Amino acid sequence: MTSVGVRLLLVTGRTVRQGRALESGKLQQEYMDSVAVCEVDRTTLRVLGVTDGGPVRVETIHGSVVVRCRVREGVDPGIAFMPCGPYANAVTGGHTATTGMPEFKGIDAVVLPAPGEGVPTPEELLRAQLEEGA
Amino acid sequence: MGRVICSFCGCLCDDIEVGVQDGRIVSVRNACALGRVRFLEWDRDRLRHPTVLRGGEYVQVPLSEAIDRAAEIVSSARRLLVYGLSSTENDAHREAYRLAELVGGVVDNTSSVCHGPSILAVQQSGIPVVSLAEVRNRADLVIYWGANPVAAHPRHIQRFVRAEGAFVRDRELWVVDVRRSETARVADRFVRVQPGSDLEVLSALRAIVNGHTLDVSSVGGLAMSELSELAERMQSAQYGVIFFGLGLTQTGGRHHNVDAAIRLVQDLNSHARWGLLPMRGHYNVTGANDTSTWQTGYPFAVDFARGYPRYQPGEYSAVDMLVNRECDAVVNVAADPAAHFPREAVRHLGRIPVVNIDPKKNMTSLVASVNIPAAVAGVECDGIAVRMDGLPLYLKKAVDPPPDVLPDREVLAEIYVKVAEELGR
Ligand code: SF4
Repeated sequence: MTSVGVRLLLVTGRTVRQGRALESGKLQQEYMDSVAVCEVDRTTLRVLGVTDGGPVRVETIHGSVVVRCRVREGVDPGIAFMPCGPYANAVTGGHTATTGMPEFKGIDAVVLPAPGEGVPTPEELLRAQLEEGA
Repeated sequence: MGRVICSFCGCLCDDIEVGVQDGRIVSVRNACALGRVRFLEWDRDRLRHPTVLRGGEYVQVPLSEAIDRAAEIVSSARRLLVYGLSSTENDAHREAYRLAELVGGVVDNTSSVCHGPSILAVQQSGIPVVSLAEVRNRADLVIYWGANPVAAHPRHIQRFVRAEGAFVRDRELWVVDVRRSETARVADRFVRVQPGSDLEVLSALRAIVNGHTLDVSSVGGLAMSELSELAERMQSAQYGVIFFGLGLTQTGGRHHNVDAAIRLVQDLNSHARWGLLPMRGHYNVTGANDTSTWQTGYPFAVDFARGYPRYQPGEYSAVDMLVNRECDAVVNVAADPAAHFPREAVRHLGRIPVVNIDPKKNMTSLVASVNIPAAVAGVECDGIAVRMDGLPLYLKKAVDPPPDVLPDREVLAEIYVKVAEELGR
């Protein structure tokens, strides 16, 4: 099956829901629901052929991760927004240009439909990353 | 009980009323959605007992045994990284610096991944600071640049910008961002810049303020006519302030972006009173920078390997220490690097022993070799925290911590004593 990917600029940041959920408990379902998300504009969703809330794979040069795709008013065409947290970090690079600060905003990314693929739990995501390092 | 301080974000709201019954928090008034969770769900998803990793399983152990194991890890490390600190109170910081110094390790706080670049810019260019009370009482033009307080500091606007000011009647609120954030929707004016072009836009504004004409039709997605109008309005303000967020520090230009914002504000001071302030996220990240500077001379990314403190962001900062596989053990205090660091840094956490000190279960608690639960500062123990504008405030204790659960400062002090014993110092 061929699938259409959309090239976007990935921006990560805070959301109220993510903030509440992280304070409440990071190993709870609510935290996963609040951060395993990629927000795009309506047109991007249509081009991807994904339903609101359907799985997509976000790929960057640093890695890839499956999350739920959501339409979000205020997100421009060309931009994908992910709440900060383990899913966004799975596709973020560790290079800091000698400042200590990785580039969390403005990462070149491709978003692809991921029909039938499950979103990993934070724990599964972490295990996979630790295995890469082993 | 009387009013307490919310220890969630850098606003440190000091008007929170909590109701306590039988040692439990049953009601909260005045807090935002985030603050409510901080208090009402303080006891949810806690690390309840010290645990150590044995044969791939977490085994519950008495506190003394967990401290022994932690001390063993610290004293046998050749290059220890102590990290976190921004979500705990100042006295815990002191213990963390002592521990790092004792073993010649590195100590870094979470500002290296939030406003570290702002600090680099301030060290280069200075900063015309403002206090939040001044903003409330005097500012007539407030700009959030690359910041989304509605999501990250929910009461910031209500308490300091949309509040009644003693010396100001009309106040304008602008948002400059790459996307129409929640904050942009409540602003009087939204200025959309192209992603990655903050430095250009800030520099163009500076040029206009300084009377130069630019030979281009637009900068960063903004027409010259709009830029000129913005610059003119900024110059005609009585008292302006820029609150800047991670939109400036976490994009390509990093400290260069902040530096440009500082210089713009310095230039604007020829026309009106202008100031700027970083929107600090964790409630005591400002405190972590302050205490680190008091104790070591440097605000973050400090190395004690030579017996005296040295400072080098990009080398002694936590992400670099992990990505470069420099550290061989980590003591994490009140932070969650496994959730908030890039993939490459997280990988190294799996290769080395991690001592995790935190009130709650978090992702780092799944990687740690030792987990030691701590009291929630500002809820279960007292302490000092510093508001984003530098105001130190006293956090009160509202309820007792669970049995055998100590404040971070005491856990760290106990580890220190053990390590000192083991090393014969
Ligand atoms: S704005 Fe910040 S400090 Fe104030 S109540 Fe909300 S989370 Fe707490």
